[in-house]
Amino acid sequence: MAEGQVIDGIYFNEVWEDAGLDEGTKKLTPEKIEKVINKVLEGETGARLKVYVDTCVHCGLCSDACHYYLSHDKDPTYAPVAKVKQTMWEMIKKKGRVSPTFMKRASQIASTQCNVCMRCAMYCPFGIDIAYIMSVVRRICHFLGITPLYIQDTAHSHAVTMNQMWVKNDEWPDTLQWQEEDAQEEIPTLRIPLEKEGADIMYSVIGPEPKFLAQLLYQAAVIFETAGLNWTMPATPGWDNSDMAMYTCDNEIMGRVKRVHFETARRLRVKKIVMGECGHAFRSIYDRGNRWLAWKMHPVYVEHAIEFYYNLLKSGKIKIAKKYEESVTLHDPCNVMRGRGLYEMARYVVNEMCADFREMEPNREHNYCCCAGGGVINCGPPFKMTRMLGNRVKAEQIAATGAKVCISPCHNCHSGLEDIVSHYKLGVHVKFISDILYEVMEKPGAV
Amino acid sequence: MHGLYNFVRGPLAWVAFILFVGGTLYRLIAMLVIARKKDNVVFDYFSLFYGLRSIFHWIIPFANRNSRQRPIFTIVTFAFHICLLAAPILLLAHVLLWDESFGISWWTLPEGVADIMTLIVIGGCIYFLWRRLTQPEVKFVTFASDFVILAIVAAPFITGFLAYHQWLGYKFWLILHILAGEVMLVAIPFTRLAHMIYSPFTRAYMGSEFGSVRHARDW
Amino acid sequence: MKRLRIGLLIGMTALAWVMVSSSIPAYSQEDITSLKDEAFGKGQRPPAVFVHEAHNEKAEIEDCNVCHHVYKNGEKVEDESSEDSRCSDCHNVKKGYPTRPLMKAYHDLCKSCHQTKKVGPITCGECHPRKAASSAHEAEEGH
Ligand code: SF4
Ligand code: SF4
Repeated sequence: MAEGQVIDGIYFNEVWEDAGLDEGTKKLTPEKIEKVINKVLEGETGARLKVYVDTCVHCGLCSDACHYYLSHDKDPTYAPVAKVKQTMWEMIKKKGRVSPTFMKRASQIASTQCNVCMRCAMYCPFGIDIAYIMSVVRRICHFLGITPLYIQDTAHSHAVTMNQMWVKNDEWPDTLQWQEEDAQEEIPTLRIPLEKEGADIMYSVIGPEPKFLAQLLYQAAVIFETAGLNWTMPATPGWDNSDMAMYTCDNEIMGRVKRVHFETARRLRVKKIVMGECGHAFRSIYDRGNRWLAWKMHPVYVEHAIEFYYNLLKSGKIKIAKKYEESVTLHDPCNVMRGRGLYEMARYVVNEMCADFREMEPNREHNYCCCAGGGVINCGPPFKMTRMLGNRVKAEQIAATGAKVCISPCHNCHSGLEDIVSHYKLGVHVKFISDILYEVMEKPGAV
Repeated sequence: MHGLYNFVRGPLAWVAFILFVGGTLYRLIAMLVIARKKDNVVFDYFSLFYGLRSIFHWIIPFANRNSRQRPIFTIVTFAFHICLLAAPILLLAHVLLWDESFGISWWTLPEGVADIMTLIVIGGCIYFLWRRLTQPEVKFVTFASDFVILAIVAAPFITGFLAYHQWLGYKFWLILHILAGEVMLVAIPFTRLAHMIYSPFTRAYMGSEFGSVRHARDW
Repeated sequence: MKRLRIGLLIGMTALAWVMVSSSIPAYSQEDITSLKDEAFGKGQRPPAVFVHEAHNEKAEIEDCNVCHHVYKNGEKVEDESSEDSRCSDCHNVKKGYPTRPLMKAYHDLCKSCHQTKKVGPITCGECHPRKAASSAHEAEEGH
């Protein structure tokens, strides 16, 4: 049910059932909450949190940054600063003496009503990083065991298998071989080189690709083959660059997953990691995971697919046979736009591929978040409506372009936008760059 | 009268300035110390160039998207903050006091201009009060302390305005004005007015992250 | 009398009252009701209210050089006075050196004496009232 309700004196602007939250909350005691909050605040936070909290003048200027707030007709409980008010301010003020219901609400806010997209940091005059504050709340919820069920399961998968989807060790090379065979029907010389030490590039993808988006592996192989690159993929755990533990703020698991990934690249002695069209995975390798492992920047150069395609097109390694005719628009994923500034490269790539490109407004680093990222889509079906109701502005933004295709160079965004497109009946197809690139590129080796 | 005036203008003013300067230094040093101890990354990612680039885009009105989207707010807040800083520092009567006490003086505003600036500050306070009372997103995050802080800021300007115009009870307003000014000075490091101290750092840090790590703009 | 003189010595460093003698000779000291000094040009505030006769009577000042002083080598010359020259002859409006600037000279002279004697105005609006001289009289007398 989506109506607001007061439960145990705490206002919930939406009420959904989620086993992780509901059952987890039942096991909480005030003592445990107090202990965990203070442990995290004292042990893991410092100047940033304190200064952010002390500097915020409660002005509400960050409100307009947030798609939840805008989509809920400016309901003040969805404003970025309001999320801090309903979580961190209270925890600090009460020195951790907050109720289990309060914590349930805090977890709901931090995990499902904030995509940690950092758009609000660009709207606060002081640059207060509310996404960071929400991450601290998630960290507390992680220690308290009140993380939403689905994403917690995903984090468990990372912990056990080092990939997001419980993909077994033999399933992975199997899938690659199957894609290789399929692709060889199109390009007979094509290989998906496994475990090739000393290759220039290690290509890594996210867990869902072998699980149910295998055609993306196929397309990537065709692009690599056509561009004539010296590349490889690992056959061992470490092939998955995704990281939901990052979003549950289970930093220890995040660190393990990233370490395996980087070590795999080192073992294969590659010059760089090229990764598929995923935003959160990029964030985990480029920004969060490396920091947890005490690397200032990524220890192996990390190239997102957008930059990779850009270089291929720019250098002429990939040529366009015939431009894509359908009208397209481009969704700028937070993690590679605000997170890496790839917006001009993305536009170059799209303009090279497509004849009719239409900008969304606002765009580039100001683009609205897809509402799926930040782990929110990974919180699963219980919170699907949170995403749908929380991102009407995105639907309006897409509809306003009149484009028939929405390009989304990020997995989270892609899935989230597909949901939005169908919920709001936009009649738009959501595509990855590689979907279109594969379609329009010259394939000299094809039979 | 001599005794009371001399007390608020002498010892109390010393106390206020010492608390203001001391408090500001304390907040700054405390921030740097815990940053060193627990948040060392902020030093690693700090970039002077990108920090300044970000500050630059946020101290110029309409140089960032949010300020363009809220033109009225932007005009009010810039006028308010400029007047808030400039009027007291460049006020003839204040500079005369500095000169009298320490023999230092600097350029001053014409009194008529300072008078208008005072009204702008008071007007700004009224506008902020109106926002807090009526705008849902602001109201929702407004606490009693926010009104107190607003009053602390408005008081020296209201009393100063009344004293300057000498309409009624000149000496009363003058003394109240000095007291209000002192309260505000002390409040700066110890309340949310500390954003005056912290904001260059938070802005510069976000600018550094966006500039040198994210290669993106933050305005 | 003696106490007053000592008090003044502590408080002041330099100044001269001018208007009396030289600048507008037509006036006698009875006519002086404000410290309107032409050297200032148009000031931002009205000139300080100062009723020469009443002030000195009340303050029991008999020696002219309490205010109309003469300084030589940084020392006040005890038996000389300067009511025949303008304040601004020694105290420039802008330049301070070697004497203090004109406005500061006035402020320091008046206020230091008032402070020492704990009577008389010491705040801006008491000497420079916006309204007519009447309220200034109050200020003058209201100690
Ligand atoms: S979803 Fe994005 S804009 Fe909204 S509060 Fe979270 S980080 Fe800020
Ligand atoms: S986070 Fe920034 S914009 Fe939002 S209320 Fe606080 S100071 Fe204002």
